[in-house]
Amino acid sequence: MRVIRHGDSFLLYLVRQEKNLLFDLLKLYPQIPVGHFPLSKGGRVPEPEANQRLLEEALAEQRKANKSQLQAFLSDPKRCEPTEPGFRLRLSEAELEWLLQMLNDIRIGSWIRLGSPEEGQEMTRLEPRTMPFFWAMELAGDIQIVLVRALARGKP
Amino acid sequence: MAETVSPEQRPGIIELEKPKETLEPGYLVVCWNDPINEMNYVTHVFQTVFGWQRQKAEFHMLQVHEQGKSVLTRESLEKAEHYVHQLQKYSLHATLERDE
Repeated sequence: MRVIRHGDSFLLYLVRQEKNLLFDLLKLYPQIPVGHFPLSKGGRVPEPEANQRLLEEALAEQRKANKSQLQAFLSDPKRCEPTEPGFRLRLSEAELEWLLQMLNDIRIGSWIRLGSPEEGQEMTRLEPRTMPFFWAMELAGDIQIVLVRALARGKP
Repeated sequence: MAETVSPEQRPGIIELEKPKETLEPGYLVVCWNDPINEMNYVTHVFQTVFGWQRQKAEFHMLQVHEQGKSVLTRESLEKAEHYVHQLQKYSLHATLERDE
């Protein structure tokens, strides 16, 4: 996969297999369980339960919007323009940021479903049930690295 | 935070200062370390959410990585909640904590 900044937008060049992998991966969104992250660790916030609920509601609303946007993204035939030897995907900077959020949800959620292993301990948790989570976590991370690198170009 | 002073200590100035309990408490936006988020990703998110230059974002990212957490900013409750929401949208482990 190659990513090129083109004016205000980004062009992602993908061979067929990469495109299929990316789209299959994105279909896994969302992966992070609702309410996984607390609003506060110390808990010394006014009305902690109400504020925690508000945060969860805001994130749930966001997740709902993301799912709709993702469905539109995955089913839009004009999104991926065929090129030789694969496809070209044009994204605005905001869309690329959004894609990063989707991928990191899949990455972190898959890691949680693996049992939140420490670095390098993932392989000890592998069994047929958890293999797909390992695959998703690794693939999402690999794509993220490419996208972050592209976004970083030209930033101060 | 600054202590409230007594009139005996600083006559004339006390009228301009509010007692400590009436000041709006500050809230710290804290990002916690985890073994899964990529360092470049975390730096990128800090730059995006706070509008920081790369150097400052990297400093806080390294603090998270090496010290287990970093205080990113101190804000009113409303603003701190906003930042925590933004950081959690990127799936970073961010919380707000009352500043003592």
